[in-house]
Amino acid sequence: MSFIPGQPVTAVVQRIEIRKLRQGEHLILGFSIGGGIDQDPGQNPFSEDKSDKGIYVTRVTPGGPAEVAGLMMGDKVMQVNGWDMTMVTHDQARKRLTKKNEDVVRLLVTRKSLEQAVRHSMM
Amino acid sequence: MFCRNQTTRATVARCSALEMEIRRGRFRRSVFLETLQDSDIQKKIDHEIRMRDGACKLLAACTQRDQALEASKSLLTCNTRIMAYMSELQRMKEAQVMQRVARRSSEAGPTDDRRPCKGKVAISDLRIPLMWKDTEYFKNKGELHRCAVFCLLQMGGEIHDTDMVMVDRTLTDICFDNTIVFNEASPGFDLRVELYSCSSEEDYSAGSTPRKLASKLSSSLGRSAGKKLRAAVDPGAGSPTGGGATLLLPVPATRWPALLSGAHTYHLLAHTSLSLAHVQDNFRTHDLITSGNEECTYWVPLYGSVCCRLAAQPDCMNQQMMSGCLKVKQLGGDPQSSTNVYGVLKGTNLSCYHRQEDIESNVEPAFTIAINKETRIRASEKDPDSNVQSISISNLYGGEEVTHTVSADSRQETHRWMEAFWQHFYDMSQWKQCCDDLMKIDLPSPRKAALVTSKQGSLYHEMVIDTAGDIGTVTDILTRRMQELELRSQLGTSPPWMSLFAESPGRQRSPRLAGHSPRTPRRLPRSPLSPSRCPRPSLLSSDASLTSDSDSPCSTSPCSRHGGLAEPLSLPSSRFRPRTLSLDAKLSTLRGRGYGGALQCSCQPPTSSLTPIPAQRVSQATLSCSSSTSSNSSSEGRRSPESLDSSPFSRPSSARRSLRSMRAKLDPRNWLQSQV
Repeated sequence: MSFIPGQPVTAVVQRIEIRKLRQGEHLILGFSIGGGIDQDPGQNPFSEDKSDKGIYVTRVTPGGPAEVAGLMMGDKVMQVNGWDMTMVTHDQARKRLTKKNEDVVRLLVTRKSLEQAVRHSMM
Repeated sequence: MFCRNQTTRATVARCSALEMEIRRGRFRRSVFLETLQDSDIQKKIDHEIRMRDGACKLLAACTQRDQALEASKSLLTCNTRIMAYMSELQRMKEAQVMQRVARRSSEAGPTDDRRPCKGKVAISDLRIPLMWKDTEYFKNKGELHRCAVFCLLQMGGEIHDTDMVMVDRTLTDICFDNTIVFNEASPGFDLRVELYSCSSEEDYSAGSTPRKLASKLSSSLGRSAGKKLRAAVDPGAGSPTGGGATLLLPVPATRWPALLSGAHTYHLLAHTSLSLAHVQDNFRTHDLITSGNEECTYWVPLYGSVCCRLAAQPDCMNQQMMSGCLKVKQLGGDPQSSTNVYGVLKGTNLSCYHRQEDIESNVEPAFTIAINKETRIRASEKDPDSNVQSISISNLYGGEEVTHTVSADSRQETHRWMEAFWQHFYDMSQWKQCCDDLMKIDLPSPRKAALVTSKQGSLYHEMVIDTAGDIGTVTDILTRRMQELELRSQLGTSPPWMSLFAESPGRQRSPRLAGHSPRTPRRLPRSPLSPSRCPRPSLLSSDASLTSDSDSPCSTSPCSRHGGLAEPLSLPSSRFRPRTLSLDAKLSTLRGRGYGGALQCSCQPPTSSLTPIPAQRVSQATLSCSSSTSSNSSSEGRRSPESLDSSPFSRPSSARRSLRSMRAKLDPRNWLQSQV
């Protein structure tokens, strides 16, 4: 999942549609994110390439909407509702996910196992 | 008393003339015999010789520059001490010989051997201002010409040295923090202060010189480097071991040539002598006599003065000179009444206590008679009643003369008291200004480790790590710190600037629908404490707050699932931790171990705010939620601030949240995680 800055990124992604859960007056998705271009990429335990400043899923609350939708810990979020997440700051990413007027977020996530699965299926 | 290795006469023949003189008390026996002092000095000399040998060996063996400088410094100190002891030994022997000669030549009368009392002299806060050329100050490029300097303080036989200070052109003053105390100083003391310096240039060590020389010769030598090289090659520049020729030796196996070439030898830069006249309870500036000039390698541009605090405490000021039972009568008072007191002569006072035991029990004296320079004491006529001589002490108290008549029990006692008074006056006349008031001498205390000022921020700023790289102690420090923080937050103390971030109490927000600003709806009207909570709740343990949560009813599904929260997380965390065990990881394992198992209902949000939950409970509950979530995420090794917008699992007050998140965001060491 490494990329060369300036070059287009190709990745095998999975579409994940998360319906936000309303709890009281809050809409929750049920996972935590980490990373961002303003964060130290070396501290990311999930990234293969330690210079990858993308947004990763660091935790998925069991039973939450994200888990139900199939999001897994360690996924790298590539897009949220069409907005790019590979070159965003941490706060921007959080804001894109937690818009109050959106009930559903459609993520494009990638993970290592996906690529392996595709490779295996091609062989 | 009889020492084999001493050559002077050890025994006095019986019935000899010498013995008769001694019997008459004219000469102390000790003058002619080997005293304990001599053997003392011999022992000291031997000790210093051993130290010197050790320093030589260390100098030859050490590889680091500052080690070499320290060794050289101790070598110089040892040498000076040895010379001082030897000269003292010589002086004593000479004094003995002179005594003997004096006795044989003439009948020596009873010498008036009233000697002033000894005292303590302390010199502290030495500061030597420097005077760099302004071109040096503002020169940014060019190598930093550094010198190692230290001070040698000598009084009589006592020699002390200060710590070594590295001086370069960024320093405006050379400051020595040491306090040096000389005991057994007489009023006529002569305290010699000597400043030694040694240049500390890299290209000066013989070991690396050939290489550097070769590299320098290929490029042209700069002016300063050329000067130095010239000074090194030319032995007349004041180097005591003029071994400049050894500079171009091939790289030696040992550093011994370094010693010989004068690379680490100190040179006298300046000196001065201080005496009783310079003693004052304040800081004073004294002139320095400098030696050496700009061309010398060890030159440091001195302003020419030294500032220090020289204090003296004569023994008569802080010790009991005389004590005994007295009968005191005050003239002008009740003529017949005389009080039996226990008098103590110390300093400028004769303190009279009712009983001797009062001194130990720190009871105030019954009264005090001043004994200072203006006091007049004379022996008065024999009291016709008791046939004992008495002493009258007159003082001027604000224009009025007050006389006390003091009498002792017996004639010898009175004589002893008079003697004590005379000695006291003599001491005061010798020590002059030191007897006006007792000067404070601070004994040098063991150096305390510099306290790290706690900057608000991550825990990393607050830690003081003494052992380098010992993860175990670091985690111990962290656990202790966290416990302290926990206690502090529970007590409700908060830094005063927290009030800046405090929301005004009483602002109640009704629950809002989605789409409005993400303010917590659960602010209670009366929660003035919650904004002022300790702003690091993410570090708090959830233990204390679990009890409060247990009261609020758990909703089933999120709660029961959250009970097992820790388990799935701890496994993947170990899988996803590819790096070596860092502080973060250690911290996380600490947290995970400590708190992972105790996450029952902690994620459950508190119930509606309509019931007036006490502020403490709410804040504790919210703190617990935040801490649990933080500990959850931190089990993977990171800290996590709460997302302000849509965190269902915690309702911390926005002030705390904002502060916490701001601080967490500002710390670059954090790898932020946000809950969405």
